[in-house]
Amino acid sequence: MSELRNRFASSTLLSDRKVTQLMGFTLLVLLIFSYFSSDIFFTPENFTSMAFQIPEVAILSIAVMLSMLTGGIDLSIVATSNLAALLAAYILTKHMSEDGEITNLWILMACLAGILLGLICGGINALLIAVLNITPILATLATLTLFNGIAIGLTNGVSISGLPEQFARIGNGTFFGVPTPFVLMVLIALLVALIINRSSLGLKIFLIGTNRKAAQYSVMGDKRVIAWTYVISGLLSSLAGLIIASRMSAASPDFGNSYILLAIVVVVLGGVNPMGGFGTVTGVVLATIVLQMVASGFNALRFNQFFYLAAQGGVLVLVMIFNVVLENRRRSKSINKSLES
Amino acid sequence: MRNETVLILAIVIFSLVIGSKSPEFFTLANLFDILRSSFVQLLFALGVLIVIISGGIDVSFPIVGIFAGYTAVVIMQKFELDGESLLIPIVLAIVIGTLLGGVNAIAIAGFGIPTLIATLGTAGIFRGLMLTLIGSSFISDIPIALDQFSTADLVKFESAAGTLVRLHVLVIPITIITILISLILSRTLFGRSVYALGGGVEPTRRLGISVKGTQTKIYLLAGALSGLAGILYVSLQRKANPYDLAGSELDIIAAVVLGGASIMGGYGTVFGTVLGVLFINLIKNNLVLLGVSSSWQRAAVGALLVIGITLQAISESRRNKRRRALSEGEVDSNE
Amino acid sequence: MLATQTAEYSVRNIVKSFGGAKALAGVSMSVSAEEVHCLAGENGSGKSTLIKIMSGVHAPDSGLITLAGKEFTHLSPRQAVNEGVQVIFQDFSLLPNLTVAENIALPTNILNSSRFIGKKETKKIAEEALGHIGVDIDINSPLLETSIASKQLIAIARATNLGVQMLFMDEPTTALTRKEVKKLFEVVDQLRKRGVAIVFVSHKIDEIQEICNTITVLRNGEVVAEGLMSDFKAKEIATAMTGSEIATSRIAPLLGKNPRTLVELEKLTSKNTFDDVSFSISEGEIIGLTGLLGSGRTELAEAIFGQYPVDAGSIKVDGKEVTLNSPEAALASGIGYVPPDRLTQGLFLEQSILRNIVAVGLDRQRSRWGSISKKKLAKIGSSWISELRIKTKNPSNPVSSLSGGNQQRVVLAKWLSINPKVMILNGPTVGVDVGSKREILEIIRDRAQAGMAFLLVSDDIPELVQICHKVLVIRHGKISKEFIDNQISESAIYKELN
Repeated sequence: MSELRNRFASSTLLSDRKVTQLMGFTLLVLLIFSYFSSDIFFTPENFTSMAFQIPEVAILSIAVMLSMLTGGIDLSIVATSNLAALLAAYILTKHMSEDGEITNLWILMACLAGILLGLICGGINALLIAVLNITPILATLATLTLFNGIAIGLTNGVSISGLPEQFARIGNGTFFGVPTPFVLMVLIALLVALIINRSSLGLKIFLIGTNRKAAQYSVMGDKRVIAWTYVISGLLSSLAGLIIASRMSAASPDFGNSYILLAIVVVVLGGVNPMGGFGTVTGVVLATIVLQMVASGFNALRFNQFFYLAAQGGVLVLVMIFNVVLENRRRSKSINKSLES
Repeated sequence: MRNETVLILAIVIFSLVIGSKSPEFFTLANLFDILRSSFVQLLFALGVLIVIISGGIDVSFPIVGIFAGYTAVVIMQKFELDGESLLIPIVLAIVIGTLLGGVNAIAIAGFGIPTLIATLGTAGIFRGLMLTLIGSSFISDIPIALDQFSTADLVKFESAAGTLVRLHVLVIPITIITILISLILSRTLFGRSVYALGGGVEPTRRLGISVKGTQTKIYLLAGALSGLAGILYVSLQRKANPYDLAGSELDIIAAVVLGGASIMGGYGTVFGTVLGVLFINLIKNNLVLLGVSSSWQRAAVGALLVIGITLQAISESRRNKRRRALSEGEVDSNE
Repeated sequence: MLATQTAEYSVRNIVKSFGGAKALAGVSMSVSAEEVHCLAGENGSGKSTLIKIMSGVHAPDSGLITLAGKEFTHLSPRQAVNEGVQVIFQDFSLLPNLTVAENIALPTNILNSSRFIGKKETKKIAEEALGHIGVDIDINSPLLETSIASKQLIAIARATNLGVQMLFMDEPTTALTRKEVKKLFEVVDQLRKRGVAIVFVSHKIDEIQEICNTITVLRNGEVVAEGLMSDFKAKEIATAMTGSEIATSRIAPLLGKNPRTLVELEKLTSKNTFDDVSFSISEGEIIGLTGLLGSGRTELAEAIFGQYPVDAGSIKVDGKEVTLNSPEAALASGIGYVPPDRLTQGLFLEQSILRNIVAVGLDRQRSRWGSISKKKLAKIGSSWISELRIKTKNPSNPVSSLSGGNQQRVVLAKWLSINPKVMILNGPTVGVDVGSKREILEIIRDRAQAGMAFLLVSDDIPELVQICHKVLVIRHGKISKEFIDNQISESAIYKELN
């Protein structure tokens, strides 16, 4: 019986193997950079700075992962996160005194407003995709344009900076020595992992991503589940936006434009199947860490930031090629097997 | 109602609304301005249209365009090629665009990577390589022929109101290319194969059409069109800025989708795309005449796109219901 | 014992294996011009592999293909087309977004390698092709809006234009009404007279007897029967296909005295689909529902499951009138449904067997905190695996690793695990082997004995005869005949169907 349980626990064997691969990959990257530039790369400062940068990417990637698990995609994450951050920043600057003082209540209100806006953005995506049946790529491309456009329109494209110090302290502070954003990320990752592995919503997400039609015939409320993933994605995006705003002490309509590519690279590298149905939070977090190490390694080696951009694109294409080749081999094997039986 | 009809109606209504608020809308100068700002977009849009009809999506084309345009200028300067020649940079840009399209083709046709992910990846690669290897600085002294071409007007006169009315000579080649693409899509085996691919990959393969071959041709053609669009953009702007065009994919995909192309593949016309591009530019260029700040341009495009796809989704679900009733009617009539 | 000595299209001793498993173990078949040859066999008997070899999709491991005197060890798809071999697949391989004319003309364009396609030329090709087979379809309408029968004819027209010499038709009558089948047979006969060799793939014995001159029956990759159609009786063909005498003895489970009525349909109507349908299902009762495809049987079943709109009439569950406008509502009323297509509608192929089994009942396993215990799910899964004797080494293997019969048991387990009052089964034994079929019927009997009610929608008349208390025949959306207990017999039902 316990053997059976273990087997069930490892039913996502494929993803688990990917996590192991990623662990190895992480170690390899560490070794390479410590060999080439240990004096800059292997310093506590560098690791602390990585720990501040990882969370926002990781949270956005987890948001993308959720929609991708159902077989969709959310391209509007960055637009949502900026819009939420701008709203919060607007409220903060409105209610702070001349010398930058603000009550904790208003900080809370600003964050809640940002989160609420994130939920609304996610809700619009949910409406377009789950209710109106619009292809996720198209729907979120449209809302990406709309949300980003509203952000530009409201701010005239200018960023809101000089946020109150108390707010900035959240994103730049530490919690028992660990950067606060990192702690937040761990909490969010645990919560999402719990949802997708231990709740009926989570199991339904995997099943819907594997076969939507069969999910409909299995009466699991597929539309509701899909709607939820986009709402949660909006929520996570707004949280990432607030963290970014706090860390930078500013909000702007065009922060993190490169994060869409980065989040998709992370998700795919983290072993999530772009067609849906398979993926783990662990994989996504690990992939974020790997890529951040690559980024700061490049930085230490004084590579141009655009070289990192090219590397991201390269990693995405190579991982996909690798997956396709692997998948083909696996499929031909399983065809042979089923014919033998 | 056909998508094109809806778009024409929308264009007419918007024109009337804007025109009633501001009489300067209905001037030849304004019309020519809208045309001028549509040239480059239309070229990009034609490439995107072909990709979307075949059931794919391309988000790398603006990067391919600026890569080709910028690199062509860099090559011209580096090798001190004849700056008087207009043909050399254009051919260079088209060749570069085609090569980059070839990279997309390898990823998509060769390895079968989903098109969105493949082109997101290649866009990152192209942009990163351009800015690290080819250059990251703004070039204002572009080759003389390219610079002069920006003011090569077919018609140029001063209107009664005293404004300068100019129609760029590009209107001719762009019209020819548009008609050519339209003919390719509707009158050649390749065009039919593009539609077939969008209708279904498996039936297309069974018909004996090479799926990989067709996809390869599609992405090469889209690359060539993007390359041409990129160099014309550089010429019309009279500068080569490698940071330009990134992000413009949204407007162009919006134009193609509003023009009636289905993102699921199989449907789309050149005429619809032309209307879509004109419509988007009409709105973007004349927002100010409506008393709206130009910083709301993107929001306007986004809102149009959201409304457009919502209407398409609603009419599609109605059509499905009607179709069901229809096919059942046939069963019934056999009694 | 071959039908003719002047055969023009033949295969000799074709062997084809996939990864060690023999799909064809030395098959020979011969078809001559002006002949309709039946290729019969159950799913997995090797029919489709043989078609793919003759149309150039697969190369055989050994054996010889002879097409009109030319000998080949293997063919390319292009060669096959050039030699006049055409296949009409079950899904027709037509493109929904093109017009009828474009669909007909495209393969001709490809064959002629014409780079440019004129509108007039397209129209001409399409009209000519439809003229060949004497049918009239609006060539300018989008294919999406044509009926299934028209699509079949369009596919035939398309093949005739390519100089077809040998035409494979894969289960062409599956979705056609009787009248449409008649029209199709006229066209087939016409083609035959024009010298085309036709291979008609089907398992509908009455239709085979009507249209075919000769027959080859495949089972497990071998030819088990061949000869002139007139030499075979219906029963002999069936026996050859399944490899066993079909036991048509009825073993319907006993009904209790005055069983409680669970579901009652009253004058249920859906515009243009089914009309005025009334019947009831009681505790422990197994009701069979059969009819041709397109007769409205699947729509009726899905209407009871809340998947198909109802315009008039009522459904009562446990004596209370209910509105079943969604599967959720049906589930809440205790109604379960096993859809006809296991692979696309029933299973999450790449997911584990366990996850598949618990897919329907997930919400019922939620704890107070809304969480799901993996331990509990594993327990439920493994108990159903042993209960329905699903053969697997590891319950967390993907369900795609199972054989068809075991896959179907997983779908059954998925629904039985929530213990519905009424189970609607749509084609539960399609494509499963004889042994599994017997066991699945046994499972249904057991559950019925325990009080579960069943509505069994099926093509398989012998199966209905074996276990049903009552069989309803639906024609053009109306219940045309009701057979009860000892009225139920194969011949009676067949007679009512045709």
